[in-house]
Amino acid sequence: MATVALDSFVAELDRLQADAVAALAVAADADAVERARVEFLGAKSGRLKAIQKLLGGLAGPDKPAGGRHFNEAKQAVAAALEAAQGRVAGAAATAEALDVTLPGEPVRLGHLHPITQTIRRVQEIMGRLGFESVDGPEVEDQWHNFDALAIGAEHPARDPLDNFYLAVAQGADPLLLRSQTSTVQIRVMERRKPPLRIVSLGRVYRPDTADATHYPMFHQVEGLFVEPGTTMAHLKSVLRLFASSFLGGDVHVRFRPSFFPFTEPSVEVDMEWGGRWIEMGGAGMVDPAVLAAVGYDPDEVSGFAFGLGVERIAARRYGVADIRDFYRNDVRFLEQF
Amino acid sequence: MIISLNWLADYVQIQAPTETLVERLLMAGLNHESTETVGADTAVDLEVTSNRPDCLGHIGVAREAALLFSRPLHVPDPRPLEGAGRVADSVAIEIRAPDMCPFYSARVIRGVRIGPSPQWLVDRLATVGVESVNNVVDVTNYVMLECGQPLHAFDLAKLRGGRIVVRRASEGEPFTAINHKTYALTGQMCVIADAERPVALAGVMGGADTEISVATVDVLLESAQFAPLAVRAAARGLVLQSASSYRFERTPDPAAVEWASRRAAALILETAGGTLAQGVAAAGTLAATEATIWLRPGRVAEVLGIDVPAARQHAILTGLGFVDTARGDQALEPGRWRAPTWRRDVFREIDLVEEIARIEGYDRVPEDRSITARPVELSAREVTVRIASGTLVEAGFCEAMTRSVVSESLEGTASPWGAAPPLVVQPALVRGADRLRRTLLPSLVEARAGNLAVGAPHGELFEVARAYVARSAGGADHASPVEEPLLVAFVTGGGFFAAKGVVEALLERLGVARAGGRIECRPADLELFARGRAAELVLTRGTAAPERIAVVGELSAAVLEAAGTAGPAAGGEVRLDRLEFAVGVDRTLRRPSDYPAVERDVNLVVAETVPWGEIATAIHAAAGPMLEHCRVVQVWHDAERLGAGKKSVVVALRLRSDSGTLSGDDANRIVQAVIENCRQAVGATLRA
Repeated sequence: MATVALDSFVAELDRLQADAVAALAVAADADAVERARVEFLGAKSGRLKAIQKLLGGLAGPDKPAGGRHFNEAKQAVAAALEAAQGRVAGAAATAEALDVTLPGEPVRLGHLHPITQTIRRVQEIMGRLGFESVDGPEVEDQWHNFDALAIGAEHPARDPLDNFYLAVAQGADPLLLRSQTSTVQIRVMERRKPPLRIVSLGRVYRPDTADATHYPMFHQVEGLFVEPGTTMAHLKSVLRLFASSFLGGDVHVRFRPSFFPFTEPSVEVDMEWGGRWIEMGGAGMVDPAVLAAVGYDPDEVSGFAFGLGVERIAARRYGVADIRDFYRNDVRFLEQF
Repeated sequence: MIISLNWLADYVQIQAPTETLVERLLMAGLNHESTETVGADTAVDLEVTSNRPDCLGHIGVAREAALLFSRPLHVPDPRPLEGAGRVADSVAIEIRAPDMCPFYSARVIRGVRIGPSPQWLVDRLATVGVESVNNVVDVTNYVMLECGQPLHAFDLAKLRGGRIVVRRASEGEPFTAINHKTYALTGQMCVIADAERPVALAGVMGGADTEISVATVDVLLESAQFAPLAVRAAARGLVLQSASSYRFERTPDPAAVEWASRRAAALILETAGGTLAQGVAAAGTLAATEATIWLRPGRVAEVLGIDVPAARQHAILTGLGFVDTARGDQALEPGRWRAPTWRRDVFREIDLVEEIARIEGYDRVPEDRSITARPVELSAREVTVRIASGTLVEAGFCEAMTRSVVSESLEGTASPWGAAPPLVVQPALVRGADRLRRTLLPSLVEARAGNLAVGAPHGELFEVARAYVARSAGGADHASPVEEPLLVAFVTGGGFFAAKGVVEALLERLGVARAGGRIECRPADLELFARGRAAELVLTRGTAAPERIAVVGELSAAVLEAAGTAGPAAGGEVRLDRLEFAVGVDRTLRRPSDYPAVERDVNLVVAETVPWGEIATAIHAAAGPMLEHCRVVQVWHDAERLGAGKKSVVVALRLRSDSGTLSGDDANRIVQAVIENCRQAVGATLRA
C-alpha cells in the first residue's frame, strides 16, 4: 500500500485552505461562491474530498494528527464559505432596500378658504354662547336694508353711489345687493318672537374702490341678542367671552362711543391684542325704533347687536397684508390654510 | 375735524396734557386720528361721526372738553357795532326754493380794506390746514371752524340788481365757481343768484364773478340754512365737496346762523375795517326744533346695566346744554329735558341715555355678566353646506371665493338655473363687472386659468355661493323677484367621469338616497358644456315633480375661451338649497353580512344606443336583494366580432345573502334571471 507522508499531507491541506479562502474572498456573487463551494467542498469531486482519501494512506501513528489537521482545514473552509455566502446575500439585500428618504406619493389635500375658516370659528364660539347661525337673501329690498334699520329716506347711506342698486323696471320697489347682514336679523325678528340669539353672516356689498383694506364685496358676521332685561353689560360680557375664546387668554374689551342708525347707544368695540387695542367692529343696544319696526315692544324687551368684519379679523389672524389676496383664489395662497 | 389747541383755549382752559385730553375725547366719542405740532400750536385731528355736526367747530369740541374736565366754557357773544345805512337799502332777498333753503340772511359791511389777515388769524388757520386768502375770506372760514356754520362773502358791487334770489338751478345751467371751473347744474341743485345769474352754488362753493378781491369795497355776508339733500346732490353730482358742503350735509346748529353772522361781521370790522349796515336782510323761516324729552328714573340703569346717580345724570345733561324744564326730584320723577339747538340728533329718551353713557364712560360698564345657557343646533342649510364643502375638501379641492357680480364675458352662456337674462347692478362691482351671475362655473374656470397661468400646483377649485336668477312673472306675490339658488360648484382638469364622480360622492355624503331622494342622470344639452359631454341630475322625491338639482360636464370651448384657460376642464354645479331635506335623516345601521360573496362576470352584447343606465335598471330589477354590487368592468366595440352597431358590456356582479352561504346553483339562478331580463328589457345577448 502506498503511503503518504504526513508533511506532504499537511502541506496539501494548507494549500487547499489558502486557495479556498482566497477564492471565497473574491467571489463577487452567489454564483461565484457556489462555484468555489463545489470546487473545494463538493461532495463528489471537491478538492477536500480528494485529500480526505489520502488520509487513509497515512502511516498509523500519523493518522490522529492528520485527522486533526484535516478537520481544522475543513472548518476553516466552511467558515470562509459561510462568510462569503453572508457577504453576497447582504449585497443582494442592500440592492433591494428602499431609499426611505424619498418622498411619499403625494395626496392632494383640499383646503377651506381662510374666510370660511374664520366664519366657522366665530360661529362655533357664538354657538357655545347660544347664538344660532341664520342666513338670508343677498338681493334685498329697501325695507330690510334701510327702513327697518332706522335708516331714513334722506339718509346718505341710501345714496345710489353708495349702493349696488339693481336696474329694474320703473315703479317697482328698488332692490339692491345688501350692504349689511343686519337685513337678516330684521327678517328673523319679523318671523319670530323673543328671546332671540342669532348670528347672521355672509357676503355684503359696498361700492368701495378695491385696495389693500377695502373690497366691494366682503363678509360680515353680525350678532343679535333680544331678551327682556338685556343691558350693555350683557353686550360687553358676551363680547369679552367671544374675544377671550377667539384670541385666547383673558381678553378685555373696550367700548368707544360711535354712531350707527340701528343701535342706540352705539359703540366701537376694541379688543386687547398683543398689548394694543385693536378695533374689532361696531356694536350697541338695538334701537327702540328697530324693535318697534318688527313689532316688538321696546318697553318689554331690549337687545344688543354687534358686527364684525370677517376679512379684517382674518387678515389680522393670518398676517394677510392685502385683503384682495382673499379673492385672488391662488392655490399657492389657499394651500397655506 | 382738525382742532388747534391754542384756539380751543379761547373757550376752555384744560390743564391736562394733550394725551389725556385726546384720550378723554376719544372715550367720549371723538376718535383720535393724529396729533401734530404746527409752529407754536398743536393740531389734533378728530374723527366726528355724522350725527355730531356740533363738533365740526371748535366750540362744540370745547363744550365736550369742558364737561369732561369740569372746566367752565366761555363762548363769545359778538355785538358788532352798526354804523350808517340800512341793509335793506342795499339788497333784497327772495327764496324761491324753500325746500332747499328754509332761511337766508345777509349783513352788509361797506368800505372794507381787503388785505392780508393779522398773524393770529393766519396762524390759527394754518394749524388746521387752511390757507390764508385775505382778511374777509379768512374770517368766514374762521367762524365756520369756530361754530360749524358755513358762511360766504360776496363782493356786493358785483351782485347785479341788488338782489339775492335763492332758487333751484335750471337743467344744464352753467356756473363758474371760485376754482374757475365751469359746471353744468341740474334741477336737484340750489343756487344763489343775483338779478341775472347764479353767483354761488348754495352751501357748496361761491362763484368766480362775485368773489372777494383786492378791489372789493363792500361785502355781503351770507349766513343761511340749506337742505342736506340739495347740498349733497350738488357736491356729489359735481364732485365738488367742500368744508361748507360737508357741514350743510350734516345740518349745522340753526341758532348759529345768526351768531355766526354777527361774529363774522365783528371780526371783519376788526380785521378789514369798514362800516356795518344796520340790520339783517333775511327771508324764510329758520328751521329749528326744540325737542322735549322725558327721561324716566332708572332708565339709564335698565339700558346700561350700571347705576348713574340722578345728580350725576343731571350734571351731564346740563353740561351738554340740555335744559331741565321739570325741576322735580329726578331720582323719583321723570325729568323733562329740552335739547339744545345744536343737538338735533337727541330727541328721544334713549338718546339722552347715550349722552349720559358716553360722558360717564363705558369703562364703567361691567364685563362679567352671565347669560343663561341655551342649546343651539346648526340649521339644515348650514349642515348641508358643511357636508358639501367637506366632501370637496376631502376630494382634494381648494375653496375659492369669486365675485358675485361678473362681466358680460362670464355671463354669456345660459344658466342651468333659469332662462331669465342676468340682472344688472349699478355701479359695476369692479370695472366692467355689473351682472349678477346665474352660474358659478365660469368664474371658477377663470380662477383655474389664473392658477395655471402662474404655475400654481393645480387648479382644482370649488366654491359655495349663490346665483341670482330673476323670477318669471306670476310667482307668489310675497316672493322676492330674485331667486337665489345656493350652489356648490367645482372645476377639475379631469374629464366628464372625474367630475361626475365628485357629484356622486357629494350626493352620497349628503345621504340623498337614504332620505328617499331618487336621482336620475340624463344627457343634457347646456351652453356651459361641450355637446354630448354633459348631464343633468334630476331629483324625484315623493309626489313632487322631478327637478334638476345638478349639472355636470366637460366645459364648452366658449366658456374655456372666455376664461382664458389653457387646456380642457370639467365641472359640476349642485343646488344645495334643494338637498337640505337629506341632512335631517338619521342613519340606521345595515349590518354587513357574515357570509361569503359569489362573484360572477356577465358579458352582455347590446345595441350601441342602449345606455348603461337602462342595463343597470334591468340587472337590479332581476337580481333582487342578493345583488350586493354591480360594476362595469369593460365596454368594447368590435364591429367584426360583435356585429355593426353593437357593443359588449362586461359586468361584474357580487352576490351575497344576509342569511346564509349562497350555493353555486343559487348564484346561477340569479345570473340567469339577470340575463333573461336584460334580453327582454334592452335586447341583450350573452357573449360566451
